[in-house]
Parts: sequence; structure tokens; C-alpha cells
Amino acid sequence: MRIPPVLRLVIRNFASNLDPLTIIIRFGQPAITIVVLGTMFSSIVSSSVTGGTSYTAFLVPGMIAFQMITGGVVAGNLFWLDRRWSMVEQIFSGPFLRSEYLGGLVLTTLLFSLVGVGVMMLVGLPFIGLPSLSPVGVGMVLLTVALGSIFFAGLLIALGTRLRSANAYFTIQSFLQLFVIFLSTVYYPITSKTPKALATIFYCNPLTYAADTIRDAFSGTMGMGAVEGLGVLAALAAVAFGGAIWGFRTLDLGPIQ
Amino acid sequence: MNSESLVLETRDLGYSYAPGKFAIRHLSLGLRRGEVLGLLGRNGAGKTTTVRLLTTLLPPTEGTAIVLGQDVRHGGRALRARLGVVLQSESLDFVTVERNLTLYAFLWGVPREAAAARAEEMIELFELEQARHRKPWALSGGERRRFQVARELMHDMEILFLDEPTVGLDAIARRRILRYLRERARGGLSIVFTTHILHEADMLCDRVAVLHLGRLIALDTAESLKLQHGGAREASMTFTTPLEPIPRAELTEELARRGATLIEVPGESSSPLNRVAFRSEHAEELLPWLSHWAQAHSLEIERLAVEEATLEGAFLGMIGEAPDEGDRAAGETGRAGGTLPPGRMGGPP
Repeated sequence: MRIPPVLRLVIRNFASNLDPLTIIIRFGQPAITIVVLGTMFSSIVSSSVTGGTSYTAFLVPGMIAFQMITGGVVAGNLFWLDRRWSMVEQIFSGPFLRSEYLGGLVLTTLLFSLVGVGVMMLVGLPFIGLPSLSPVGVGMVLLTVALGSIFFAGLLIALGTRLRSANAYFTIQSFLQLFVIFLSTVYYPITSKTPKALATIFYCNPLTYAADTIRDAFSGTMGMGAVEGLGVLAALAAVAFGGAIWGFRTLDLGPIQ
Repeated sequence: MNSESLVLETRDLGYSYAPGKFAIRHLSLGLRRGEVLGLLGRNGAGKTTTVRLLTTLLPPTEGTAIVLGQDVRHGGRALRARLGVVLQSESLDFVTVERNLTLYAFLWGVPREAAAARAEEMIELFELEQARHRKPWALSGGERRRFQVARELMHDMEILFLDEPTVGLDAIARRRILRYLRERARGGLSIVFTTHILHEADMLCDRVAVLHLGRLIALDTAESLKLQHGGAREASMTFTTPLEPIPRAELTEELARRGATLIEVPGESSSPLNRVAFRSEHAEELLPWLSHWAQAHSLEIERLAVEEATLEGAFLGMIGEAPDEGDRAAGETGRAGGTLPPGRMGGPP
């Protein structure tokens, strides 16, 4: 049986660049956040702030949304390493299209993110119990994470196509991650006490829409807000993915640091 | 050259990286099935750009390149599936050497059993047994280069492009790889090979294309280039007996008249009376005349020597760089003068 080129690239992505330690840390970090930070902060953060649930239960959907960053970073780093070690050029000189390589990265991201969603659900089970997710709710969660992953993957890949130094790439990536994670509703909700400027920044962040949509799906309170959130994510994912495509079309395959 | 027999043909091929700035221009050449074509040139001459254009990694900005019957602008995946490319830059995956080989074969769609067998063959051929379970960063520079060539040979191809494949290799590994490539070329594989080691090109290539400042300045066999552009070479003749003053004067006068620059004039500046040495662009042509002259004067030749023409000498001549004495005395390309038996030069045995 002949495996399609995109799947061959996905298998290669997992086989070549994702060692067990990377996988454990990528999934372990948010899992530890739920268990350790969630438990510790529960005594500090009042449930009135988190909509009547414990802080840990509040954190679980946030960490599920966080998987889109995990997946996006995996794709961005895979691409960067491939570019740094000339594997992009080597693969492009073989029987592959640039779109297939990009497709392979996106599929790798999606697989990583969606497996991450499953892991976070399992870790979160003792804290939130079995969520009463409707099939639509499940679809919303998966679609949210998928769109968010494509957004972050697209953003980091586009960035990776422009930069020529590993230092610059990893510095910008860390900076982005820090701000995107903390200036969102992943760790803390927007309440009446949230400063307006901060709330505005929160709403400029796609992770906010993802976290809120997933929370709505978990609580079974999906309304127009969730649909709007998905719409915003879809638009942002399209823009970022468009940036990645443009980056690929104009990619200089020359050596980088 | 009959274009039907060509597996690769370019006409006025060019690549401009900025308006009015060309990395390569007006490149017209052909490659036959089973032929090894060497691309020579200084750094920045356009060798790597040429390889990238011919392997569809860069789109030409002018001219045409037909590779295996397909225009490189439109060949895409179908064309690349018939090519092999060893890049100048190191390319590797973060798994062991053996896994790298089989993973690369998997990417190319080589069946698992065939890939395993070929990996064994390549590991043995490229002497990677010790490195089999090591990751690429734990390899020496030479091992990494060998691994990279081995990896490309994991799949079938009709044209193999090698961009400086022997950089950092020791002489034995280099010979081994060149011999293997020669065998593959005999089996019908066409090879485009760039190198700065001109001796290699001389050994391996059927024809050599010399690029200079983005232009093709010569395309011929190494032998022909050496003859045409080899420049002045040193030749000497030693007689069994000292030369008398009259023939001595006649000989030096005749050699000078034929354009030779005399280096050793018999009897002058402590030079032996039985030896003459000169430098000439046509040293081989002068030697038969010399032996006839010796016969006519009943002189017996003890030794006849001519400096071997090298591709490096021809290359330097073509790009307008005069070889210096250091290059002549010794060097990687074996510039040191070779002594030929008199019979070969047409002189008396």
C-alpha cells in the first residue's frame, strides 16, 4: 500500500523530531498545572470569580485550550529545525510539494493538540467529573482547539520563514507564548473588576476565545458567544495560515544560523 | 550533440536574485545518460544555483532547462521523483544513522524490506558501521558527509546531483565514493557533480563545465581543457654527453625562436652541460622536435620529462589566474611534474 506523501511526512515528523522527553514535557507541563497549580490556587481564587466552580475545574478547559499553543509550537519548532538542518531544502528536492510539507506540519500539529485534549481531559476528570458534553459540545471543543492550533502553527511557521537566526526565533516564540498565555482567560476570567485595558487585550487574544468557547461547551451554555468565538478563531487561523503559505512561497532555502 | 540522447539540456538558463543581478546567466549545456558532468568554479561562480535550478528548488528567471524531458518550471514532483540531490549544506534528521537511512527511504516510498537491505549496503559501502547507532551530531565531519551521500542513494534515480559531496573526506573515503559513482554512471546513472577539488573532477567526470562569475566559460573533456588551457609547462631534456658550444647555441636559439622560455641553458649559471630545461605552452609539441634535433646531431637522450598538465592549471588559466610556483611544486591536485618515458613523447627510447 502506498502511503500518501502528506502522511509519510507526518510519520517522519513524529519519528524524527519528537523524542519521548519532548512529548512528556509538552503534555506534562499543562497536566502539572492542573494538578498542582489548580489545587493550590483553589484556596486563593474564590469560586465566585470562576463562575461557581473550583479553580481547578475552571483551569481544566483553559489547559485544553492551551493545547492549541502546544500543537502550534510543535509545528513551529519542527519547521524551524527542518530549516536549520536543511531538511526543508532536502524534502523540497524530493517527491513532495511545498503544500504537502505544510500540510504535514498542520496535521502533526492537529494530532498533537487533539491527543493533548484527551490527556487534559483524563487529568481533569478527578476535578470536573465526566463533563456532560453534547455531541455539538465535543465538536465545538475539537474545532476550537483545531482552529487555534492552525492559528499558532501558521503564525510560528510564518515567523520561521522570515527569520534567519535560531536565537531570534526562539526568543520571539517564548515572548509570544508568555503573553498569549497570561493575557488570556486561561488562568483567570474577565470579571467586572478586570481593568478595561486588560480586558481589551484579553479580547484581542485568540486563546481567550478558545478558552471561553471550551468553558461554554463544558458548562452546556453555548450560545451566540461561542459561535462568535469560533468565527474569530477561524478568521485568525485563516490569516495566520495564509501568512505561512505566503512564507513558504517566498521561502529562501539558503543557510541560516 | 544530439539533443534526443540528452537527459538534461539547458539553453540560456539564468537566475536573477535581484533586478539586474544574476547568479547564473546564459548557461547552455547538456548531459547524456550515464555521463558524469563536473561543475567547476570559484566560490560564488553559480554552481549551487545551477544545481538548485536543475532540481526545481529555484525557478529560472530566464532561459529553459529540460530535465528528463520536462521543463523544470513545470516538472514539479514527477520530475523530482526521478532525481537525487546531495545538498552542499548538511541535512539530517535527529535519529540514528541507520534510522535516518530507512526513514529517508520511507519518505521516498521505498518498500520496507528493500530499504533495510539497501541501508545495510550503504552502511558497508560508506564505512558507517561504527556510526550506525549514533545520532548525526555525534559523527565526525567526514562521517556526516558520507552519511549524506549514502542517504541519497537509498532511492532510485536517473540523475544524481552532488553539490560538493567530498568536502571533509579523507583520501580513501573520497576514492571509494568516486569509484562507486563511476560504477553507477557505467550502469546508466547520469551525474552532475560540483567540486573544488579539481583532481576529483579529472578522475570522475566525462566532461567538465567551468563557471566563472555566473557564466559558462568552458565545457569539454578534462583532457581537452588541459590541452587548451593548461598554460605553460616545464619540460627538460638530458643528454648522455655534454653539448658542444655550437649545437648548444643552436639549441637555445631554436627553442627561444619557438616561443619557449629557457630555464636552464647548458653551461650557464652552473647548469650542467648536458641538460636543457624550458617552459612553454606547447611543451608536448616541442619535445618531438627536440628528439629529432638530437637525432640529427647524433646525440643520445638520457631523460625526457614534461610537467603533467593538470585540470587545476587549465582552470586557473581559464579564469585568468596565473598559477604560482607554489602550485607548481606540489599540491593537492598533483601538479608536481611527471616524468614520461621518452617513447611516449615520440623521442628515442
